Amino acid sequence: MSSLFRFLVMVSWFTVQSGIAAAPNESRGSLVRVRTSIQPYDQFRPWQKKSPFGLSGTGVVLSGGKVLVTASLVANRTEVGLEKPGSAEKCAAEVEAIDYEANLALLKPTDAEFLKGFSGVPLGTNLKAGDTAEVWQLERNGEMLRNQAEILSAGVGRYPSDEAGFLVYGVRVSLPKRDDSYTLPLMRNGMLSGMMMAYDRDSQEGTAIPIAMIEHFLKDSADGKYEGFPTLGVSWSPLRDPNLREEVRALVAGGILLTRVNPLGTAGRAGLKEGDVLLSVDGFKLDEDGNYRDSLYGPTSIGNLVRTRPYVGASAKFIISRDGNEMELSGSYDRRARDEVAIPTLQFDVAPRYLILGGLVFQELTGAYLQEWGDKWSERAPQRLVQLFSFQQEMKLDPKKKVVFLSQVLPSSMTAGYQHLSGLVLTGCNGKSVGSLEDLAAIADATPEGDLVFELMDDPGKLVLEAAEVKSGSGKLGKAYGISALRKL
Amino acid sequence: MRFCRRVFIFALCATLGVGCGKDGQLKEAKKNVVMVEVTSQTWDYRLPWNPGTVSSARGAGFVIRGKRVLTNAHVISGARYITVQREADPRKYPAKVKFVAHDCDLAIVEVEDPEFFKGTTSLPLGDIPELESVVSVYGFPIGGDRLSVTRGVVSRIDYNAYTHSGRESHLAIQIDAAINPGNSGGPVMQADKVVGVAFQGFRGDVAQNVGYMIPTPVIRRFLKDVEDGKYDHYVDIAIRWMTLENPAMRKHLGRPNDGLGVVVTDIFSEGSSDGILQKGDVLLSIDGHPIESDGSVRLQGQPVQLEEIVERKFAGDPVELELWRDRKLERATIKLRPAEMFSMYEILYEPPPRYVLYGGLVFQPLTANLMGVLAGSADLRLRQTYSLFGQDQIYRETPEPVILSSVLPDPLNVYLRGLAGQVVREINGRRIRTLADVEPALRQGGERTVIRFEGDQRPAVLKKTDVDQATPRIMAQYGIPEASRAEVDGRRLAKGSFSRTESK
Repeated sequence: MSSLFRFLVMVSWFTVQSGIAAAPNESRGSLVRVRTSIQPYDQFRPWQKKSPFGLSGTGVVLSGGKVLVTASLVANRTEVGLEKPGSAEKCAAEVEAIDYEANLALLKPTDAEFLKGFSGVPLGTNLKAGDTAEVWQLERNGEMLRNQAEILSAGVGRYPSDEAGFLVYGVRVSLPKRDDSYTLPLMRNGMLSGMMMAYDRDSQEGTAIPIAMIEHFLKDSADGKYEGFPTLGVSWSPLRDPNLREEVRALVAGGILLTRVNPLGTAGRAGLKEGDVLLSVDGFKLDEDGNYRDSLYGPTSIGNLVRTRPYVGASAKFIISRDGNEMELSGSYDRRARDEVAIPTLQFDVAPRYLILGGLVFQELTGAYLQEWGDKWSERAPQRLVQLFSFQQEMKLDPKKKVVFLSQVLPSSMTAGYQHLSGLVLTGCNGKSVGSLEDLAAIADATPEGDLVFELMDDPGKLVLEAAEVKSGSGKLGKAYGISALRKL
Repeated sequence: MRFCRRVFIFALCATLGVGCGKDGQLKEAKKNVVMVEVTSQTWDYRLPWNPGTVSSARGAGFVIRGKRVLTNAHVISGARYITVQREADPRKYPAKVKFVAHDCDLAIVEVEDPEFFKGTTSLPLGDIPELESVVSVYGFPIGGDRLSVTRGVVSRIDYNAYTHSGRESHLAIQIDAAINPGNSGGPVMQADKVVGVAFQGFRGDVAQNVGYMIPTPVIRRFLKDVEDGKYDHYVDIAIRWMTLENPAMRKHLGRPNDGLGVVVTDIFSEGSSDGILQKGDVLLSIDGHPIESDGSVRLQGQPVQLEEIVERKFAGDPVELELWRDRKLERATIKLRPAEMFSMYEILYEPPPRYVLYGGLVFQPLTANLMGVLAGSADLRLRQTYSLFGQDQIYRETPEPVILSSVLPDPLNVYLRGLAGQVVREINGRRIRTLADVEPALRQGGERTVIRFEGDQRPAVLKKTDVDQATPRIMAQYGIPEASRAEVDGRRLAKGSFSRTESK
């Protein structure tokens, strides 16, 4: 019995060994452990933060002494520290560039000498499905694990903080758990080919950010002014259906149907319109499913063509068919369709803004606030807020204005009868329209006495406070609820 | 709506009230309480052409004056065959529904055979019982086939949701008598009189000893309503109001601090108060009863919600209001009518589901029933159309949103399957406001039919000749007897078919 048991142990030991090769010397020059302390903001109690927690991951040292990690490792950080493998040497780091959509961040040690002696990892080439690679990982003792990996797929997919999708690698790899995150470099021939960003231990599959994304990110951040990945600003539908093709008079093969065009976006400013058939972008022909033929990946979604490949400011050329007439339109890539919106989606590292007047808590609507309602936020959050956020373009919200809403009421003698109200959009105050918390603060500050009449989009339509009372009662209110500042603008 | 409530419906069986004519009461109950056995069919909104699933259930009822049997609406909903049986007579008599009021969960069943009523005396209606007074519940709950009696006290008298309709709230009386599924419609008695009809309670894992009965004011209203030979819906003043407890708000509106009045915050267009009340009006009294700032009025010395005044009234009845508008005292009279704008939220029982089939595309009007079957999969736009229908007065433009509820796979519609669940905006250039618009619109246009949806969805395009060819094939394959059922006979069956002209 006991010899059989030993035999089994031996076999499994060999199996583990075969997948992992220890390479102690290489880790010295290429990897650092990154430890971050994270404290997210509390969107429901915007004057405070949630419980802090720590994360760790493996950062890649690039030539030039900077460290690349995923953005999720450093989102809502209070501190970032670098740790040399196998030694107690530590150094604080600053975030030099960060892109939450692309899930990448570049760290710079505060001590310029800290990474002296690190040769840095060179950037590698793009991988395609079927390629083999390695995922490098730091052992607790600083030794390096090289886990054999296989690229299962390379196509446009979801990133944690992006709605539209970027190129992503599907990776099969067996990773032991060594850190609190799976931020790990994907390597091939000693060069960086990607960055792992998610991993599922049950299926032993994960996703990685391809080197093409990393290169774009690094190149963009090199001049110290980070602009981000461009966006087209359109919704589209495949055009496989022959009846639909006939209806929109798509006479030549291929092309996709634009079902909404943001007038501010790359496509909108180039003159593309809803109902146009988009046939090609920058000389790349699109098929009926919105794929172009990529020299490396084969048929690949338009998302890669218009978001990863070009840079903000680059010229864009479109061939469309409008009512059966082919035409060429040109413009330049930007990200205004993403950035110039009334209700932003992304909100990290930024404290939520608020203004408390006599117990009425006003906030500006963000995707981050709605997400605080949990996975089923679109069912659980106040439906008006969900509607404004989800259909903001269709509802033609002015992108220059913010949506200010009454998020909750702190009961006090001033707010008697209002306690049950929440999730109500504020349209104006004292007859003036409100497009930001600053607007509201300005109205309140300019009203030393008399009524403050808050005009709401929905029932009950109107709330009234006495300005003098709001002013005189604010100290008491802050004290009662332990809120040190009644406004954060 | 139905799925999110934890109250469930069952029948309740009654115990004898101690010390209140016990022997006489039991004797009367034995004569008049009847077992109601019902075989019913429930429509399947996923497959609206199907006749639905057949199920059988047992409830209770009791004989009231005029040789009628009173029971719950939910006992006889969708009934295809009903029999009634008395304790003293082993025969089962066929019965049929005479009146049904889903909004207050009451129904009257008629029995043709006069034999059935031999020996019955009819039970008289009493008043609202006192809190903590003892009541007895009679019925036929699970656990046996003979008449059962349980006893409890009146625990609470308050407004409560009537779960059967999915949207209504009326006065209900909570009692702590043991309550078990299968026996709704039985009488709750005190001192030889009926003080309520047992109708709903909580599941055992939610709350114990909480049962509800429909009190006699609601029963009397129902009986009065049907005197003219038909049942009309409850009426509503169709406004929203807010309590007027805030001192700054009171001052702003020019009201003294007298603890009176509520402020009108919304008036539903096409409702009873449309054109009469205004946002910002302060309601001071209703039919002479002063309104407290929390929205209550005193009725026989008891505080009740101001809606209670309207509850007792019928379509066409006036309500006298005293109000404060622009710092002046005014009077207004409202003529009451049903709040049809909210009928979408009411669960439908009798009418067969309406639909139009076109090339495998199934169009259905948006109803509480349809939302029930789409619930988990409904996309955001559909859910928003449903939840904001009343609030945003969507009904003014679109009295009955039409949904592409499913796409029955066929070679014809292979590219259209992803469009199921979308809200239809227009067909062949015609705006779709109700299901009745669909078929005429489909006949419009050229050789292709173009269906457009709300939001940024692609349109659905079908060649009319293809559809004509495919229709018999699709109907045969999926066993669909009729290509459409866009209209249904009878009142209130065409949901949301009210129009502005009709309701004015």
